[in-house]
Amino acid sequence: MITADFLNIILITLGGILISMGVHLIPVGGAPAAMAQATGVGTGTVQLAAGAGLTGLVTAGFMMNVTDSMALILASGTVGAMIMISVTMLVGQWIYVYGVGCPAASAKVKYDPITKDRQDLYVSQGTEGHGIPTASFISGVIGAALGGLGGSLIYYALLSIENGLPEADFVGIASIFAIGLFFVNAVIPSYNIGGTIEGFHDPKFKRFPKAVIASFVATFLAAIMGVVAIGGM
Amino acid sequence: MSVGGGGGGAHAAIPQNNLIAFGVIGGLIGIYAAYFLTDIIGPSMSFLGALGALCGIVWGAAAVRRVANYGLGTGVPSIGMLALGIGIIAATFGLAVGGIAGPVIAVIFASLIGLVVGILANKVLNMGIPIMVQSMTEIAAAGAITIIGLSTSMIGTFMFFDEVVNGVVVAQGVATGVMTTGYIAVIFIAGGLAILHPYNANLGPDEKQDRTLACAFEKGAIAMITAGIVATITPFASGSLTILIGVAIWYISFSGFYKRVKRDAYRVTGTGLLPSKEELE
Repeated sequence: MITADFLNIILITLGGILISMGVHLIPVGGAPAAMAQATGVGTGTVQLAAGAGLTGLVTAGFMMNVTDSMALILASGTVGAMIMISVTMLVGQWIYVYGVGCPAASAKVKYDPITKDRQDLYVSQGTEGHGIPTASFISGVIGAALGGLGGSLIYYALLSIENGLPEADFVGIASIFAIGLFFVNAVIPSYNIGGTIEGFHDPKFKRFPKAVIASFVATFLAAIMGVVAIGGM
Repeated sequence: MSVGGGGGGAHAAIPQNNLIAFGVIGGLIGIYAAYFLTDIIGPSMSFLGALGALCGIVWGAAAVRRVANYGLGTGVPSIGMLALGIGIIAATFGLAVGGIAGPVIAVIFASLIGLVVGILANKVLNMGIPIMVQSMTEIAAAGAITIIGLSTSMIGTFMFFDEVVNGVVVAQGVATGVMTTGYIAVIFIAGGLAILHPYNANLGPDEKQDRTLACAFEKGAIAMITAGIVATITPFASGSLTILIGVAIWYISFSGFYKRVKRDAYRVTGTGLLPSKEELE
């Protein structure tokens, strides 16, 4: 019983670290991007991570209805988050290209690391790039996969705790707890990158080990509380 | 999303320590008074929980104001979401294990996680904000008080599990009444907005503490009205008083806020209607 609880705490902590890693890969542009003055999606880390994470939770929860297989549940959560972020980035890209009328270009690198296209020629003066270049898009999809995987891992671990709660209560508590952890682990990396990042090619990406350490400590504490609150230990 | 803040400490007419006392003591008194008086007098006293949450909200908004003035780099909303994220974890834990001491335990553990996150932010993430540790502790605790206060005013108790006598539910707990029903999402957003929005709306070189806090009272009153609306459809709490008092607080605080906006503005002038086509020619 105690071993199982301990395993759940480790899984939840791992989930938190995955979310924290994932946020570093999602192209977050913040307010400057909303004005097409920086690369990425024009909103904050928390909103993007929460959107991807909550979609991941919904899809993982849906899969949990039909199967007990951990692999399928995690895969479902992962894919759900990936679809969510992809759609967000795609529609954002349409608006940048057809609405604002600017090409997708990164100001952080001279050549796109994936397509090898020249970037600096297309960056408008006075901006830090605009739109979502291929490298950022792919980075975002990978980030969402990590986030969705982390979120569904937390949810799965919480729901595999043995207790005597009625099922509806159990699901309610586990999901709100997972959401709480998601917000904490979305804000910590957001502070680490100073609010904006372009993806894995951004120099700020190298800072991710710090956020992983911070998320590890914070999530571990919260995971113990969560497992005790839900009735383990 | 604004980056916010000009770097450096914020000027404050009311010292932060008074606000901490207001938030912690007022918050806990409100929550416990709601719990006991709902038992003794009746469900109509559940509005006291929302008053407790209001104290937590004002305290949280004041702490956000202080720390966000240094410029978080990510926009003010992130810290409000962090507060509610920590708050919800600590509130679930505190209420589940604490019984009658639940709110106190929740506040203590929220402060603990807030303290750890604050230390991590400064030492590991190198944010370098001098009051980060203290503010993070405060904001997380304020988040927990807000969540518990609004939950209490929604269902009339902060007990986590249902009270069952002879197989009949005599009192709904937070787990069934607030979390399973999904009202917790309302608390999350209404409470989070009330904590993060005031400074976000007022920031700038002319930001004044009393104007920001008036805005916090106003947002807290909206959260209170929302809790009252939920309480009208839950069996063990009464919403009418919560809504009435919420509207009264909203009116008073909004007038106060508007008065301060006029005081701080260079000039307030009516623009009239847009000119018609003929007038333009």
